[in-house]
Amino acid sequence: MARILNFLPWRRSRKEHDLDRELRYHMDRRIDDLVQSGLGETEARRQALLEFGGIDETKEEVRETWLWRWLDHVVRDLYYAGRILRRNPGFTATALLSLALGVGANAAIFSLIDQVLLRALPVEEPERLVHLDWVGSSLSSGYGGGNLMSYPFCRDLEQQRFFDGVLCRYPVTVNFSTGQQHEPLAGEVVSGSYFRTLGVRPHLGRLIEPSDDVQPSGHPVVVLSYNYWRTELGGTPEVVGRKVLINNYPMTVIGVTPESFRGMDMLARPKLWVPAMMMPQVNVEVGRVMFERRAVWMNVFARLKPGVTAEETKAQIQPWFKAMLEADSRSDDFPTVTAEQYQRYSASTLDLLPAARGFSMRRSVLQRPLLVLLGGTVLLLLLAALNVAGLLLARGAARSRELTTRMAIGATRSRIASQLLTETMILTLGGGLLGLIVAPAVSQVLVASLSPGNDLGSRIDYRVFLFAFAVTMFAGVLCSFAPMLQANRIPLIASLRERARVAAGGGVRLRKVLVVGQMAFTLLLLVGAGLLVQTLARLHSNVGFNGSSLIMFGLDPPAMGYSDVDSEKIMREVDRRLREMPGVETAAVANTRMLNGGWSDAGMTIQSEERIVTQRAALYMRIGPGFFPALGTRVIAGRDFEERDIRPSDTATTPWRSVIVNESFARRYFKDRSPIGYRIGIGTGPKVNPTIEIIGVVEDFNRRNLRDEGIEHVFFPYWDRDTDNGTFYVKLRGKPDAAYASIRALVHEVDPTLPVGEPITFEEQIERSVWVEKALATLSSAFGMIALLLSVVGLYGVMSLVVTQRTQEIGVRMALGATRLSAVWLIVRDVLIITGLGTGIALPSAWVLRRLIQAQLFGVSAFDGPTIAVASCLLALVALGAATLPAWRAASVNPIDALRLE
Amino acid sequence: MLILRILALDSAHGYGIAQRLQQISRDTVRVNQGSLYPALHRLEEKGWLKAEWRESETGREAKFYSLTPAGRKQLAVEKQSWNRLADAVRLIFNEGE
Repeated sequence: MARILNFLPWRRSRKEHDLDRELRYHMDRRIDDLVQSGLGETEARRQALLEFGGIDETKEEVRETWLWRWLDHVVRDLYYAGRILRRNPGFTATALLSLALGVGANAAIFSLIDQVLLRALPVEEPERLVHLDWVGSSLSSGYGGGNLMSYPFCRDLEQQRFFDGVLCRYPVTVNFSTGQQHEPLAGEVVSGSYFRTLGVRPHLGRLIEPSDDVQPSGHPVVVLSYNYWRTELGGTPEVVGRKVLINNYPMTVIGVTPESFRGMDMLARPKLWVPAMMMPQVNVEVGRVMFERRAVWMNVFARLKPGVTAEETKAQIQPWFKAMLEADSRSDDFPTVTAEQYQRYSASTLDLLPAARGFSMRRSVLQRPLLVLLGGTVLLLLLAALNVAGLLLARGAARSRELTTRMAIGATRSRIASQLLTETMILTLGGGLLGLIVAPAVSQVLVASLSPGNDLGSRIDYRVFLFAFAVTMFAGVLCSFAPMLQANRIPLIASLRERARVAAGGGVRLRKVLVVGQMAFTLLLLVGAGLLVQTLARLHSNVGFNGSSLIMFGLDPPAMGYSDVDSEKIMREVDRRLREMPGVETAAVANTRMLNGGWSDAGMTIQSEERIVTQRAALYMRIGPGFFPALGTRVIAGRDFEERDIRPSDTATTPWRSVIVNESFARRYFKDRSPIGYRIGIGTGPKVNPTIEIIGVVEDFNRRNLRDEGIEHVFFPYWDRDTDNGTFYVKLRGKPDAAYASIRALVHEVDPTLPVGEPITFEEQIERSVWVEKALATLSSAFGMIALLLSVVGLYGVMSLVVTQRTQEIGVRMALGATRLSAVWLIVRDVLIITGLGTGIALPSAWVLRRLIQAQLFGVSAFDGPTIAVASCLLALVALGAATLPAWRAASVNPIDALRLE
Repeated sequence: MLILRILALDSAHGYGIAQRLQQISRDTVRVNQGSLYPALHRLEEKGWLKAEWRESETGREAKFYSLTPAGRKQLAVEKQSWNRLADAVRLIFNEGE
């Protein structure tokens, strides 16, 4: 180490200076001497120079000895380290594997965190992008997620000069066809300013321009993503100008985006882009209201002007925004609202959020779990580093004679330390490299379990590489710390004399400390895993209905361009045929898919003896008769929907006449009374007329999210209103797999062009709704197991050493009459102390760390007594198991043999 | 080896060592005085010599070299191997007589 420092510039110049002085001293003395012996000053100088030979050559030669010496040391250290490591393949392999595991897991998690949380959009100057957020009440109904705005608002803002461009987007799924099969594809509906504002240039053809977003339904053009064009359309340039069908509507491909561009949501992979004016063709429901100011569905972004901050722009924009609110409130279609509601509306402001990383709903879902996982992998890395440090110490103890001998023959402590450091660095760099090699595989597993849509990559790029390198260096420093400490402690003479026993004794103490650390980290990981596994189990038991042999699939006739009347005909026909299909126990239609994250809710007015409004919005959905039997839930009071609740086809739609409420709704608003026969209305205003009769009460079950508990829910009849799209729920008698083909065939018979939304079983849907929890439980369990394994290795190693060292002591004790049990106790006591100390460190840490994990849990507290108790017991048991062999060896010490050694 | 031998008696600076070398070898060894310094530095790097700046007999600061324990040991080793070589050579010559 000291030698590397010699090559730092200032150290170097000091050496140079010294050399200069040294040589000048020589010359001056020689000249003096020669002058004294009678030579003239000039002659003396000439003579001295002659005798000396070239001064510069000498200097150069001296410098070379410095450099060569240093290089020599490095090379020799490397060679020596290589030889040592080769000679102990078991040690080397264990150390390398531990580190590879730690670094690999960290690199994999980091690559995900980088993609989800850190990376900026691949567009021009992403840091100038902002996301507009309406703070307050917009008095509007929303379609979609995030900060939503209306399309007219977006176009208004575009006309202003606050920004260098405004863009808006809406994520969609459309049925896409190049001629034969219709295929559901993810895409983005975008304003004409979208690509221009982002500064994205086409890979092929041209992108959507402002002139493509002028006439409603007037611009049937589509831009394809590079990946889709490449993998599905063969990557031919002829794609430009090609006719395709989007929701059965003919459109023309005008271009292909560059490869890196993936839209504003970096966790989605849109395959196509369509101008906003084509919304009626893309999504009928939103298309109907797209020009209304109180229909919000767009995410709006803007590019700040150069050199202007978001704060400044925000201040500039408020007067315009206030004026817009004011003007809007005087328009004809402005809703009648209470004074309080109006107050909240007119107090609204516009916020500008940084959007360099785009916008993603999924980011907020993934952020916490990823940080929890990173926490887990960091613990794992620390554990691995401690393990390697322990191994190095063990070997250091075995090598202490070698080291002391080398020191005795003149090696300096810094030489020994640099030698040890070289070995550790080779190990850690090797482990890190191995870790990087396994990282893509680990990452792939993570991606598969964390993101069912497979929207994340498992690529290892330079950022991940740098991160892995930093992690490796960190681990290296951790690993080498203990052995260095040990090397510095070797008391030269004593150790030579006493056969290295003293040094080894110090090693044991250090190693015990390391193992205590390992125990603490392991316990933390075990507790975390326990909590997450319990969370998953509790969520599963919180479903509230029987999902076995139940499958569901969606149909969306309006999306294929059918009118309301035709759509209803198709839905009714499918519904009728499904009930008659062989192998089907019962089938029912509903307006939404369950447990997919979406929901609708509304405040309601209840008319019983008095008129009351709901304290909070109740969830609602529309279901057909047979829905509850299909789910296996019971109607516990009143009756289920029957044929008489179905509006006959070919009659006009009616307001809802009947409703079924769930237990929580009945309990909250009717206490012990029966709600049957009372009436409710949708909305909470004074004009709401409660006319919908409650005809039944159904058991609670979770349809939105498995974390829900005691949520009020009401069910309206599906067929009373305009029927657009819907999801069919089919309870089968046999295996679901076989039914998929017959269901497709059945729908095909009714309408050959209508795509069947991917049918999935309910079990599958449940799994999908808890995928984050499942991934966390699985991964944390795996971390826990690996941690246990690592600490067992560490504990076993140190206890074996203890037995070896204390063999004589045990022998003497036995000779003096101690029992074998007491010998075993000697070891067991050590193990218990180590485990106890580890637990003692882990518990306060768990208390501190509980906030990190709290949000991921369900039905169990972050500092759950039973979980901690079970984890501690598990750790203690495994620790005792690891000590069995050393304890047995201690018990079988033969006093005579042990004493003879002395 | 000569340098180690000289320094075994007392520490000295470069010029002193050069003078002493000349004295001991009675002028039979004539080397460029300049080549002394790379040798000194090499020995220092090997850890056989240590150096410090001290006031010399003329009152000016000079770099004084002295033997380290490792240097002493090395001297013993070299002396031994030299003796062995010398013995071997003598044996060969004696046998030839």
